[in-house]
Amino acid sequence: MVIGLSLLGLITWVSEPAIATAALLNSGYADQQPALSGNGRYLGFVSDRQESRKIYLYDLQQQQFVDLPHLNRPHAVMESPSLSVTGRYIAYLTNTQAYPQIDLYDRATQRSVALTPGYLGWIRHPVISPDGRYVVFESSREGRWDIEVLDRGARVELDTQEDDIVPDAIDRG
Amino acid sequence: MRQILAIILTSLLVGCAGPQFLYYPLDPGGRSLNSPFTESDPYIAGRYIVFASSRRNRQDIYLFDGVEQRLIELPGLNALDAIASDPSVSEDGNTLVFLANRQGKSDIYLYNRQTRQLRNLTQNLAAEVRNPTLSANGQRIAFESAQKGQWDLKVLDRRGESILEEFN
Repeated sequence: MVIGLSLLGLITWVSEPAIATAALLNSGYADQQPALSGNGRYLGFVSDRQESRKIYLYDLQQQQFVDLPHLNRPHAVMESPSLSVTGRYIAYLTNTQAYPQIDLYDRATQRSVALTPGYLGWIRHPVISPDGRYVVFESSREGRWDIEVLDRGARVELDTQEDDIVPDAIDRG
Repeated sequence: MRQILAIILTSLLVGCAGPQFLYYPLDPGGRSLNSPFTESDPYIAGRYIVFASSRRNRQDIYLFDGVEQRLIELPGLNALDAIASDPSVSEDGNTLVFLANRQGKSDIYLYNRQTRQLRNLTQNLAAEVRNPTLSANGQRIAFESAQKGQWDLKVLDRRGESILEEFN
């Protein structure tokens, strides 16, 4: 009995650090629409784990969630996230207007900008290029589902693996 | 001559300005990005855009080279008995990952463009799977699995081994 208890104590003690530092990726709710950063380190997805569907970012290396300040807005649809190479840029579908549009969140500025204001057509499934310059998506503008390619322009700050501008301190939230 | 130069300069300046939609002419023959049929699930990495299209009376995967503005052959990827969807491609264009449905059973496949080999990554997973995606470096695959009675996320390395087994 005494040996049993002390063994239990030893197991608890040994496994404690792992439990304390790692956060489980999946929840008891639907976790969907996975998107990997180009470098394979970050996993973006949508989850119903809180009251409404939100976008989450998980660091597969640290096994921790990454804070995304000002990204999720209450009462707004947050769908279909897509990540650039280091996960600096997150393109996603939202409905801050009456119809779906693509917004782009920059983890460096912690702000979103609208990429398709006034777009005449239904939009689905945005995907951002690893460097963050291009966004492809499904469009109904021509009366059928086509692929549209948006070039954000030559002057945008590109996301590159070398310039991982998001420091680890922020990563750990 | 001066006029032509002015037009070129103007278009260069406009091209550099802000966001713009790139124009890809529609090819009724099905040799370009868009066709008179449905295109879906686009994914971009480097110079490549990969997508699904029903342009040949069934849903197949197509790989478009944005630099050379043409489709790239994918020998052995599309099959007569499968509906293919949700493709993604590595930045070097060598690896593709997609979902294929055969007789109601969906599996996630990894295609190597160099060896033209196709590998089923979810053969031993007794659960419905969907929405696969490949990281641009070609090293990790994430997807949804209904193994526990709800949609959960799984992440594999390119050998098909889970990288989150011990915690999730």
